[in-house]
Amino acid sequence: MSTDVRSRPRTAAPAPGKARKSDRARAEARLGWLLAGPAFVVMLAVTAYPIAQAVYESLFRFRLTAPDDRAFVGLGNYGVILTDPVFWWSLLVTTVIMVITVAIELVLGFALALVMHRAVLRLRGLLRTAILVPYGIITVVSAFAWFYAFNIDSGYVNSWFDWVPGISSDLNWFAGTGTSLFVIIASEVWKTTPFISLLLLAGLAQVPGDLEEAAQVDGATWWQRMKRVVLPNMKAAIMVAVLFRALDAFRVFDNVFIMTNGANGTTVLSLLAYRTSIGRLEIGLGSAISVLLFVCVLIICFIAIKIFKVDLAGARGEK
Amino acid sequence: MLALGVGLGACAPADDTPVLTWYTNPDAGGQAALAQQCTDAAGGAYRIEVSVLPREASAQREQLARRLAAADSSIDLMSLDPPFIPELANAGFLAPVPDDVAEQVSEGVAAGALQGASWGDELVTVPFWANTQLLWYKKSVAETAGLDPATTPVTWDQVMDAARDQDLTLGVQGIKAEAYTVWINALIESAGGHVVETPEAPADEVELGLESDAGREAARIISEIGQDRLGGAGLPTQDENASLSQFQGDSGSFMVNWPFVWPAMQAAVEDGTLDQAFLDDVGWAVYPQVVEGTDAAPPYGGINLGVGAYSEHVDEAYQAAACIVAPENQAAYFVSDGNPPASTVAYDDPEVQDTFPMADVIRQSLEQAAPRPQTPYYNEVSQGLQETWHPPVSVDPDSTPQESTDFITAVLRGERLL
Amino acid sequence: MGAATALTGKQKVAWAAITVAVLVWALFPVISIMATSFKLPSDLNSGSFLPTTWTWSNYEQILGPDGSAQELFLSSLRNSIGISLIATAVSSVLATLAAYAIARLEFPGRKLILTTALGVSIFPVISIVTPLFNLWRSIGLYDTWAGLVIPYLSLTLPISIWTLTAFFRQIPWELEQAAQVDGATTWQAFRKAIIPLAAPGVFTTALIAFFIAWNDFVYGISLTSTEAARPVPAALAFFSGASQFEDPTGAISAAAVVVTIPVVVLVLLFQRQIVSGLTQGAVKG
Repeated sequence: MSTDVRSRPRTAAPAPGKARKSDRARAEARLGWLLAGPAFVVMLAVTAYPIAQAVYESLFRFRLTAPDDRAFVGLGNYGVILTDPVFWWSLLVTTVIMVITVAIELVLGFALALVMHRAVLRLRGLLRTAILVPYGIITVVSAFAWFYAFNIDSGYVNSWFDWVPGISSDLNWFAGTGTSLFVIIASEVWKTTPFISLLLLAGLAQVPGDLEEAAQVDGATWWQRMKRVVLPNMKAAIMVAVLFRALDAFRVFDNVFIMTNGANGTTVLSLLAYRTSIGRLEIGLGSAISVLLFVCVLIICFIAIKIFKVDLAGARGEK
Repeated sequence: MLALGVGLGACAPADDTPVLTWYTNPDAGGQAALAQQCTDAAGGAYRIEVSVLPREASAQREQLARRLAAADSSIDLMSLDPPFIPELANAGFLAPVPDDVAEQVSEGVAAGALQGASWGDELVTVPFWANTQLLWYKKSVAETAGLDPATTPVTWDQVMDAARDQDLTLGVQGIKAEAYTVWINALIESAGGHVVETPEAPADEVELGLESDAGREAARIISEIGQDRLGGAGLPTQDENASLSQFQGDSGSFMVNWPFVWPAMQAAVEDGTLDQAFLDDVGWAVYPQVVEGTDAAPPYGGINLGVGAYSEHVDEAYQAAACIVAPENQAAYFVSDGNPPASTVAYDDPEVQDTFPMADVIRQSLEQAAPRPQTPYYNEVSQGLQETWHPPVSVDPDSTPQESTDFITAVLRGERLL
Repeated sequence: MGAATALTGKQKVAWAAITVAVLVWALFPVISIMATSFKLPSDLNSGSFLPTTWTWSNYEQILGPDGSAQELFLSSLRNSIGISLIATAVSSVLATLAAYAIARLEFPGRKLILTTALGVSIFPVISIVTPLFNLWRSIGLYDTWAGLVIPYLSLTLPISIWTLTAFFRQIPWELEQAAQVDGATTWQAFRKAIIPLAAPGVFTTALIAFFIAWNDFVYGISLTSTEAARPVPAALAFFSGASQFEDPTGAISAAAVVVTIPVVVLVLLFQRQIVSGLTQGAVKG
């Protein structure tokens, strides 16, 4: 799906004169911006403007309940944040959650994509419907479902799995960093694997069937076919899926807010920003954290595009 | 609109009656009933509509502070948790209490409740109901331990020994939330100390009293309960409700908790999930002492009514507040919702005595109770305490008080994140 | 694909096992919270999966006329449905126009718009919340429907533009061409020939956008403070039990089940469209 398809009808049109062509091009450009302009402006207005304001406000010491104390502090807020272990710890926790969820989801999502791809027609609808349920569910609902299941008071997980070493009726999942993160990641994985698996399903559909058949005729094993034919052809789809999910996972908030609200060292960056600006009403500090979070996302994108050569535009049909 | 219409039944016809919006903490519907009652009593002078705030005290503060910072004129009346009052008063978010109202509403009010409703030397809110924690216990357990808390005040060490000897659990609130601060503060106050020594000082001059004998003693009790697993495995996530469930279980022994547990246990008996025999075994007494022979300073909580500084109906709002907190209304609210009155007169109400056999103990507890630090930076102090004292098992009497002093001081100076 | 070939007995067993595994994995947490929603408060700590006695009391609490959480829940439901629908409608209209222009017209800046959409979709929501909160409270949009619809566009617009652009590129544009040859203007061609063809894509995109708006939590808790605009996910976090200290586990579970029902219904009815929408918008080589 690229330029040639788009331009086909145009070249088929009766060839106009040169002057008319540029007139027409200008009219087309005007119409194009007329149609696309509102969406473009809205997108900029709801993101670029707030982030600019955040950058400005991050230069002040400003607490909403002490409006008279507002003072310009330059980069002081950034200094406080960047020298504070709380910030670095939450950056680490956020990164750990991001890496683990994306890794699990990639494997699980790929398995689900294969299942959906190969299922007989009768099962396909059923499987897709089931897989879409977590996709459609509200994250907060998922967080509560997992929280109540593992909660030491109202949960049943401890009594179901007490044969597993380390799990007993005395295990308080939300009292330790590791166990809290385990449940947070489980809920996150459950809720978002369908998304990654659908992206991978789209990638699977692009693998040329004849190539795979040829490999099969050549006597290649299933694993060999995966490694040599399927995966290389899906590289773009995988990279895009990983990048999108990684950036999404980096923003993790809902699950942590509901399950621990940051207790036991599970404060993620988004929660830190929320607690500072919305909870403590420290607008200056909070804005600075928001800006740093934004910078982190930019860095992840930069790494993905420059080092892993994720071709977003190409993979998304924009060549 | 549809849902609202159904919810409110028949809305009053549009007229010039000032509509007062009362932001309430969630309860069993008692405040909504009082709103209706005072609307009727006002005879058209005003109409009160209720809007419910979130459950967590800190979240209630968040919502209100945000709206007030936006100079929202729709906030007329607010149900405020006392520790957050200084912050709002200091920021000028509360309309001053008229002298006649101040006089009227402070008559016969428990000392702790009056203190909690003030900032500096001035009454800035109207005392409504006052909460305090009692020591709840199983009479059978206390008897085995040779204790009779109802007649002789017990100490934390006695309670801890009893639980340890009988291999039972204590109901305390170790969750990283406001409830934990309540516990820490009560221990420190009971030991004769204060979390904050200079509550009215500006942020960078606030002095903490954690590095004291009282602070260390509080840390010792918490750390012992954590390390000897006296609070059970659920301690680090245990809130008031979880303490109650644990207390109702086989391992329950003693519990410090608010009086809401009484109606809750009675409801469980009605549901058939709790035996009447259990209820008969439950006893109550004033909060345990930290220092033997020195009266404990039980937690003080409750709700006071504030009037928004940006309200367009300040006078009507104060009239409404005075109506809501009338002693007979406080008594009715206690009976319907289990929240004890701030007015000492209300405890003499026969219905109160009938529904809450422990009413006199509650009144005594309120007289002894000590509020949490009344500083405009309470939010930072409380969260800073939770950050450094949680989980209970990690508390070390030798280092925790100093660590948390350093941390909270740095946060208040704007040098650290929370 | 092997869909047409008959399955051997062994394969049948394998597929049955796979299907069961996927079903359990996908539906178990939903069933789990459903089971919790039928428990009595005093039954919550039994440690068993199913309630010992089944009760509707939690549902009465959020839906019944005397329910303590009824007003909170129903108003949030109304807010969520209203705000999500408006945000979906606005973003569908804007995205349809934009995607048509991008897919069909040759004009400078097409790539810029797509890149912007991409940039907005990866934007950390929490970074916008603080400044928006500050702005909203000074211009009076705080705690209003509009105050949520506008930021929701930052979530729904980018994915709508991408998905629709992909859809529109697959439409046989010869039809439009034919219409234009018949003397229709570009606009008329768009209206008469393209809209009927594009409608299924727009519908699918709207469905996905609705899910995204329906799911939002960060904006919901940060930019509202009363029942005037508080959406369901935020309200769930604010429920309370019979008194302020009692955990509202049952009521939250019941409300969670109620708000999950529409999701399940939509998924059941439109799984094919949602799958094609998500896969189309995503990867096109």
